[in-house]
Amino acid sequence: MNPVLMIVAPIVLSGVLALFLKKDTPIIKYIALGFFSFMLLFSIKLLSSLPKVGYLDLAKMLTVEKWDFVLSLQVDHLSVIMLILTSVLLILVTLSSWTMKGSVGYFSLLIFFAGPISGVFMSTNFLWFFIFWELTLVPMFFLVGIWGAEGRIYASIKFFLYTHVASMFILLAFFLIYKETGTFDMTLVKESMLASPVLIWWLLFIGFAVKMPIFPFHTWLPDAHVQAPAPISVLLAGVLLKMGAYAMIRMVVLLLPQQTEAFSWVILTLGLITLFYAGFMALYETHLKKMVAYSSISHMGLVTVAIGTASYAGLSAGVYEMIGHALIISPLFLIAGFLHQRTGSWYIKDMGGLMQKAPYLSTIFVLAGLAALGLPATMGFVAELSILIASIERFGMGMILIALGSMIGAGYIIWTFRRVIYAEQSTLIEKSDFKMHRIEFLALLLFALGIVVFGLFPSLLFDTINTAFVALSTAGGIG
Amino acid sequence: MISAFSILFASALLSLLFHRTIWLKPFTLIALVIGMCLSGTAIGISGFETSQATSLFEFILQWVLFALVLHDKNETSITQILFIGAASIALLQSSTLISFVISFEALSIISMVLVSQIRTPDQAEGAIKMFIAGAISTGILLLGTAFYLMGGGMLDKAIDIHADGFASMGIVIMLFGVFYKLTIVPMHGWAMDTYTLIRHSHAGLLTGVAKTVVAVATFKIFSGFLAVQIEMGILLLAFLSVLTMTLGNFLALFQTQISRILAYSSIAHAGYILLAFVGVKSSYASTGLLYMAIAYIFMQTAVFLLLDTLAHRYNIKSLDDLNGLGKANRVLAFFFTVQLFSLAGIPLLAGFLAKAVVFYAVVDAGLWYIVLIALLNSALSVGYYAWIIKHIYFDKPSTLFAQEQTDKHKTGKYANEKLSILSQSMLLLGTVFFGIFASLVFSVI
Repeated sequence: MNPVLMIVAPIVLSGVLALFLKKDTPIIKYIALGFFSFMLLFSIKLLSSLPKVGYLDLAKMLTVEKWDFVLSLQVDHLSVIMLILTSVLLILVTLSSWTMKGSVGYFSLLIFFAGPISGVFMSTNFLWFFIFWELTLVPMFFLVGIWGAEGRIYASIKFFLYTHVASMFILLAFFLIYKETGTFDMTLVKESMLASPVLIWWLLFIGFAVKMPIFPFHTWLPDAHVQAPAPISVLLAGVLLKMGAYAMIRMVVLLLPQQTEAFSWVILTLGLITLFYAGFMALYETHLKKMVAYSSISHMGLVTVAIGTASYAGLSAGVYEMIGHALIISPLFLIAGFLHQRTGSWYIKDMGGLMQKAPYLSTIFVLAGLAALGLPATMGFVAELSILIASIERFGMGMILIALGSMIGAGYIIWTFRRVIYAEQSTLIEKSDFKMHRIEFLALLLFALGIVVFGLFPSLLFDTINTAFVALSTAGGIG
Repeated sequence: MISAFSILFASALLSLLFHRTIWLKPFTLIALVIGMCLSGTAIGISGFETSQATSLFEFILQWVLFALVLHDKNETSITQILFIGAASIALLQSSTLISFVISFEALSIISMVLVSQIRTPDQAEGAIKMFIAGAISTGILLLGTAFYLMGGGMLDKAIDIHADGFASMGIVIMLFGVFYKLTIVPMHGWAMDTYTLIRHSHAGLLTGVAKTVVAVATFKIFSGFLAVQIEMGILLLAFLSVLTMTLGNFLALFQTQISRILAYSSIAHAGYILLAFVGVKSSYASTGLLYMAIAYIFMQTAVFLLLDTLAHRYNIKSLDDLNGLGKANRVLAFFFTVQLFSLAGIPLLAGFLAKAVVFYAVVDAGLWYIVLIALLNSALSVGYYAWIIKHIYFDKPSTLFAQEQTDKHKTGKYANEKLSILSQSMLLLGTVFFGIFASLVFSVI
């Protein structure tokens, strides 16, 4: 099958579905589910056919010789891992929005989103990468703006503007790269070919830092996360932020290793600030979903620190944390969104005594929470430990600070347990109904399963992730 | 001699015979199809030359005019549309200064005839403003030619790229005369009111078609001179361009009438077009300008025509009137959204690639900091485009559409606007095609 279809088909399909299906036709869920499963199969097949080192060429078309504007699709281990993560999350998001209202529009936008996101991970031409990168904003803008909570309009416009402004830095960096090297092909560009690597490094770093997000460029995220419907928060945390981290690894760390080495203190400092600042914000927050959002940002701070090491171990640990973060934070978002939907309140103080009323839901909440604070036998532990080791290796013993960051995590999460799960039952909880649709609960179970399985057997993931960076390092990336 | 120009000119004269008959539209459409087939044929008078780039642009121009003719309730403007087409082709092909000046004048005079279809005092105000600005622009252009002649330039030859003294001063003055038509700040005052007050479909023709044609022709005539002598003026041009886009974008943010937002967006786009002049030393500048013109002619014409349809059907004026359009009329809302995204520079649409090529040309010319400002401007413009889209999709439906719902209930069907939708589809096709397939534009230069 032509891999270009992975990008074109969802865009066309979503348009057709949106125009021709009647409002609220249930069949669209199955179409979405089928398409995303197909996407998962396709990415797994890609994984098996990858060469040990370097890229697998998939397609090359729409060539404009004079400007090196070519839709060239190439994948390596890193991009295929991201593709698999994306398709798994899309499936789980579909499952967890099973009872969503206005379903035709919602699921068509979700299917549309699959197109550009595959493009981001597959394309190796800077310009086409940028095109897909920007195009992911459009469905997200509508998903947050139409299906979001009370403040959705502010949040969606802020999200769109903020990330769009950041993208402009990226585009300028790409232009400068082309001017100095004469190619938009990211597999051919080497740092030594650049005349102004410092400027390009900063432009790219700021551009991607907004998407990740790294302090002080994070302010769009709490708004977008809180106002988005819960499954879309999952997509934001699990896919959109990962897109930023992926680009940061690929285009900042691996493309400009010397500058990254020189500015690793910038990445490290900002990563630590993100970790602690967001951690303290989460501790302070009384708004349940905002608490989860800040916890999500805090974890991305860890990923940033891991990326800052620019070492083989650090990057592997960072990618592991990226996957772990996607699996851990998603159920927390889903549960926070579900609680708001049923009780009408966002605030932690109204949620006391959930355990007696909804024991299964609470169990998953506790499990994900414990994984978020890094309890052994969950993904969170493996991820945080390996990041800790990698950064101590790179920056020295001072990095024990990161463990302190985890302790703040333990603080806000355990305190939240106390206030939400085990406290005295509040009247709001008592009179609300917490019966969840079976399929939506299945999605939560799958997340929980992932957290435990990959926590007990981290080698399942690490083997593939390590291959990604072995391959990249021997291909002339980091030493 | 048979050429696209003569076909359009003859059909414009003949179309007068068909006024107030059902034959008018079919006749015009056939003439435009023949014109499209003939695009690229030279007029056949000395002083007019064709190139691949002008042929492509002529084809696109007639494609857009075709869409304009298809647009509903447009019968009274058809003769002017054809005349504007003929004058535009002459302007695009002109290669000497005298042919440029004459075709430019022809285009402005016909534009004035177009806007003088006055029904309301507002329209009169818009038309008068445009008339005065046009007269000033003509005056300055002629002053420039006089200087150029005095400095020893020849009008019936291509412009002297090594002109100096009075001749080069004349060229600069001429450029400023043209900038009136291109609505470069501070020569933009008239455009605001004219584009807002006259009928929206006429505004689409003026800003979408006439302005782009002037931009392409001006670049063709003056780029040689600018590329050689740009040093003295590059910062001034860059300053004007940045000023134009910044002012246009900022003022657009504060408007509540859709037509005013679009008018300011048109001014902001003039700034992007001027960037191609700033980067004239780069080999990408001509491609960039052509791309910008192509993207602009599709999207700007489309949004103004849409606004015309919306104004006629729902009496939409302000942003709040748009609330809930996404539910009330899915098709028009979809067209509007896509074209606005294109104007905002969202990828896979022509607007993005056009900006990208122009901006790259300026980076290539070594002025990356100007591009940074332009990029941030372009991002800022998302603020008001997304705001319009917010009104279309995110807000609760306004009373206008509730009225429409009851009307629909009464008559049992939608008002007929199939032709407008067809014309919008033609424009959308252009926006999407040139957003994905760039090789066509790159191959003609």
